[in-house]
This record gives sequence, C-alpha cells and structure tokens, in this order.
Amino acid sequence: MKKILLLSCALLLSSTAHSQLRVVASTTNMAMLANTVGGTQVSVTHLAPPDRDAHHLAVRPSMMTALRQADLLVSVGAELEAGWLMPALQGAGNPKLNPGQLGYFEAAAQVTLIDPQPQADRSQGDVHPTGNPHIYLDPPRLARAGLALAEAMAALAPEHGDYFRHNAASFAEQVDTQLPHWQSLTQNAAGVLLYHADANYLARLLSVPVLGYMEPLPGIPPSGRHLSQLVSNLKGKAGVLIMPTYQPARAATLIEQELGWPVIVLPSNVAAGGTSDDYLALIKRWAQAFAAAQKPAGNPQ
Amino acid sequence: MNARIFPLAAMTAGILLVGAAQANNEATNTNPAIDSTGVDRARISAGTQMNPTISVILDGVYANFSREVEGPAGFGSHDHGDDHDHEHEHGLEEGFSLRETEISVSASIDNYLDGVMTLAIEGNSGIKVEEAYILTRSLPAGLQIKAGRFLSDIGYINRQHPHDWQFADRPLVSELLFGEHGLQDNGMQLSWLPSTSFYSRYGIEILQGETTMASQDVHETLEEDHGPRLYTAFAKFAPDLGMNHAAMFGFSGGISTSFKKEEEHDDEVELWEGDGWFAGIDAVYKYNSGKPFGHGNWIVQGEYYFREISAEFTEIENQIIEEQFSGRSKQDGFYLQALYGFAPRWSTGLRVDGVGLTNTSLEPGNDAFESFDASYRYAAQVSFAPTEFSRLRLQVNNYDYAHDDGDHGHDAWGVMLQYNVSLGAHGAHQF
Repeated sequence: MKKILLLSCALLLSSTAHSQLRVVASTTNMAMLANTVGGTQVSVTHLAPPDRDAHHLAVRPSMMTALRQADLLVSVGAELEAGWLMPALQGAGNPKLNPGQLGYFEAAAQVTLIDPQPQADRSQGDVHPTGNPHIYLDPPRLARAGLALAEAMAALAPEHGDYFRHNAASFAEQVDTQLPHWQSLTQNAAGVLLYHADANYLARLLSVPVLGYMEPLPGIPPSGRHLSQLVSNLKGKAGVLIMPTYQPARAATLIEQELGWPVIVLPSNVAAGGTSDDYLALIKRWAQAFAAAQKPAGNPQ
Repeated sequence: MNARIFPLAAMTAGILLVGAAQANNEATNTNPAIDSTGVDRARISAGTQMNPTISVILDGVYANFSREVEGPAGFGSHDHGDDHDHEHEHGLEEGFSLRETEISVSASIDNYLDGVMTLAIEGNSGIKVEEAYILTRSLPAGLQIKAGRFLSDIGYINRQHPHDWQFADRPLVSELLFGEHGLQDNGMQLSWLPSTSFYSRYGIEILQGETTMASQDVHETLEEDHGPRLYTAFAKFAPDLGMNHAAMFGFSGGISTSFKKEEEHDDEVELWEGDGWFAGIDAVYKYNSGKPFGHGNWIVQGEYYFREISAEFTEIENQIIEEQFSGRSKQDGFYLQALYGFAPRWSTGLRVDGVGLTNTSLEPGNDAFESFDASYRYAAQVSFAPTEFSRLRLQVNNYDYAHDDGDHGHDAWGVMLQYNVSLGAHGAHQF
C-alpha cells in the first residue's frame, strides 16, 4: 500500500515536472525572481554564477544546451548581458526565445531606468545609453518586473496565470512591507563609495548619497591617479566603501588606510538557488552596510 | 485643389488614428506590468533594432624579420610569381602594415531570417566580401540554415575572424590547407542542435569550392568543372563541466569532387586534374577563474588536419605530352596553443605550428609527386587588453621551415607589434 502511494506520488511529481515551464535565468537574482513568480510550475536554471560580473562572461556550450531546451529566458537586459547572452542565444537556435517572442523577457525593459546617457560614447567607459541596467538591486523595480514576468509566464501557461500573478503580487507586498525597515536603517547613513554603479537604485531608494566610484569610468579598473583623487576629495568625510566579491581587495585597502572608512565586501546576487527571503536578506545586508558610516552627530544634514 | 487637400486629409486622418490608438492603449492598459510611463517593451538597447548593428575592426601591425621567410616546403605552389617580394607572411610587410579593416553589419531581416555581412578592406588592395549570409532564426527542432558566403564551421578557429584570434597570425595548417582566409566559401549550411543535456551540434555544408582542394585554377587547356565541388560535415561535442570549465571537441571532414590546376611556363604547360578529401579533429578547453578582466583564465586549443588530393599530372611541351602520371598528394598539419591571463587585462600565450608531417606535395618529381620535410613555427605573445574593445599585442615568431632543396638552415625570427580595436557595436564572442 505504501509502495503504491509512493509510486503514485512519484508519478504525480514526474507528470507535474513534465508540464513545468523551463526557465533559463541569466543571473541568480533573475533565477530567484523566476522561482518566486513561477513557484512549483517552473524549473529554473541560471547561466551566470553569483560571484561573477554579469557584464563579462564567456559563452559556454552548456549555456546553449540550457537555452535550447527552455521555454522562457529571463534576463536583466538593457544590454547588461549583451556580450555573451546574444551569441549563446544565437547558438541555441531556439526560436521561442528570440527577442520579441513570448519566451524572451528582459526585466530592465519593464521599468524605467535611471541615469540614461543617450549622448554617451565609449570614451566614457562601458556605459549603457538606455540607463543603469542594475535594477536587480532595487526591490520595488524588481517586484514590478516580477508582475510583468507573471504576465509573461501566464501567456506561456495560461492555466496557471492566476497562480503566477498571486506569487508576484505577494513578492511585491513583501518588498513593500520591508521597505520602511530598510529605510529606517539608513536614516543617518553618511554615504557610500561604490566600486561600480550597480547599487545606485538601492542608494536612491534608501536616500543614501553615492560619494563616488572606485572605477574611474564604468568597466575600467581603479587607477592610482583616480584613487588618490578620490582620497583627496573624500578626506575628512564619513562614508563606507562597498566592494563586489569579484574584484581584488588591493584598491580597497588604500581607501581603508587613507580615509579610515569601513570596507564591506558584498555580493550583488543571491547564492545559486536563493529564494525571495534570501534576496530580501541580501538587501537588508546592503542597507546595514550603507548604515555602517553614520552622519556626524549634531549635523543632521 | 484636390491634390493639395489630400495630403492634409491624410495627415489629419493619421493623427486621428494615432490618437485613437493611444486612447485605446490607455483604455485597455490594465496590465499591472506596464510602468506608469506606459513602458511596455520586450527589450531595450542603445540602437533601434531597425538599423543594422555596425562594427568596424581596425588592425595594424609593425613587423620585423631577421631574414626573409620562405614558405614551408611542399606548400609553396604559388611561389612562381615574384609578388611575394618583401612579403613574409600573408599581408605582413617589413615595417608598418595595415591588415584587414573589417566592417561588419548585421540585423534581423524579418521574423524568419537574420542577415550578416562582413567586408574586409585588405591593406590598400581593395575590398573583399569576407562573409555575406542569411541565417534562419525560426526553424524548429534546433535546425539552422545558413546561405551565402561564410566561414565554414569545420574545426574551431576556421569560423573566427582574425580579431578573435589569440595570436596575430593564422595557424599554418589553416592557411596552407584551406587558404589565406581559411575555408571561406559560397554555399549553404544545415546544422542541428539536438535538445539534450549534453551539447552536440552537427552540420553539413555544400560549398562552391573556391579554395585549395576544390579550386579550379584553369587557363587555356583545362575546363572548369561547375560547382558545387566541396561537401563538408562537422560534429561538435561539449560536456557540461559546470560554471568554470568548458570544453568542446570537434570532428570534421570534406570531399572535393574536382581539383584542377594549370601552370604555364613559356611553351610548357603543367596540368593537374583530380579530386580530394580532408579530415580533422579539434579540441578547446577554457577555464574561467572568476577573477576580473581575464586574470587566471586559461584557453588551450589544438587542431589537426589531413588532406589528400588524388590527381593526374600531365606535362605538355609544344603540344606533346612529355610526362604523365597519377599520384596522391598527402599533407597534414597541426597547431597547439595555450593562453593564460597572468594579470588583470594581461595575457600571454604560446603556440606550436607544424605542417607537412606527412608531406607528399603536388610538386611533380620523377613519375611521382615529391615529398618534403616538415616545417615548424613557434610563437609567443603577450597581450594587453585595456577594455574588451581594444588590444595591443607583442608576438615573437621563430620559423623553422624546411626548404624545397631539403635545407633546414634558414631559421628566422619575426617580431610583430599589433593593435586590434573595435568600433561600434558591443562585441559578442562565440564560444
């Protein structure tokens, strides 16, 4: 009897597994969003490990295998993954995922982007003329992208449309509930020095001034001249330096020594298989990191 | 009067229509996904996707050679002319030279097809169409068809453009067995990527046969066989090695239905008529360390090809057949190279080239084609890539070529300083 029950369970599982939407996410944050919205009705794989810079990744044949079998591609978009996702997509030969088809989803295309630089050229570094693509570190925007993703999934699996919409809405609700907590954490944050312009959305959301970037230009590693300029500009001010996990710590130690600022190394993506709770916890870690440097007392501005 | 009113009426109607469409959009805009600004896009990018993506590659070399490098023995069938004076390697002169300036344009043609065109302006010697093909984008079952002029998918390096190479020059085996531009031809390709968890890709190509083993270098005596004359097939396999490692192994081969060659010297004519085939294996391994700017990354790749041409050789002098025999030219070659990112943005590499390990050429000897020794080339390079759009490279070559007279004592050194930059569209690199 037990055996039969187990067997029928297994059968049931395998049949649901079969009807699941196969989703390929470019990054682990996008995989988190796809899992959150898709719930039990999707199986999600990701292409970029969480400890990598999603700007620079080499195409692997296994990416094409994953894309070949997928029903839906969920990417950050705004040309963040342009260097590797487009060739991988072309190599995969899966017409369902072509841009413009139901199976192609860009989160950045669902929201408005900050800092568009339509006049930019390459002499200003690896800029994204349409705006800052790093919307994954902006929970409300990501939640809005999640609502759009629910519609995309609903278009592919209409029978689960309400389920997807419900999941996306409850993620958006979670974000709304957390937001005041994060904002209260960063109430007196002095400001942040970022390595790359990837946390600008979050800094703006939590009213934390961005004091500068370690990169002299987007995509260009810190030069000695740029760092000494940063030091002279920021001398005497309070702030915190947040470094990504994939950049060497050498440049950070200079800031630590010269300015006496705390240096915090933080990932910008959840771990592989990360859930929405992990994501909200990651945002909280960022908020706490922002709060590591407080405005001097008696000077509320 | 009417003619004047018509455009006005049309414009008004147009404005009304657009207005109505907008109103309609607003009325039906219950989709929570749509941003308050009315943004509802599938994709955003810097350019409008209606315009083709354009990129330009600039490539220049300063080269210096310790002595003139004469082509490897057995492969120098084009040595009769004297147009190779002061030209040591393809397109490389002593001193400064501008190499291929590549202009690449690509776009979706419609929902069925993509189009790609790459022009190469070679030094100052004119424009060549490097690639101009259409590629299907909506065939089912992992099938793709490519038609036009393209770089064949045989092997690994063949489909790469020079700016994707890890060294300044093309591997000898590719240049000598397939041509100055590798196997680049007019024709069609059908490829298939099965839906499995293990990457594999299979393809066949029907090609006109403009290069080497299917070439028709005919003048007054022989008649050109019509194309297509070259049929190739390839298979590529790549196990899933996780996020940090990737490898691919390939097998390829091809059959040429006709090879013809004619050489005239005064009142003497030499003729070759036959067919041929080739087969090769290729392997590439890439390690991604996860460190920024390629630091700690490895790329190891190698290829081997064997080519056979069966031909009947005829030498005619003053309308009289002086010599005639059938023979088989068997030649092969390999290269093996490794590249290591020793610092952020810096990489260094070593390469060994060998050609003619089996070296029965098409040079007529005594009732048979002549055999020669193997030739080798050793290369070392250091590259600095400030961004993914620019690269500077210093390469040193050592040439250990066998000469036609069997003499080996002609070692030569070459130094090349190369810049290679891309303008325009964001570079996208295939595996």
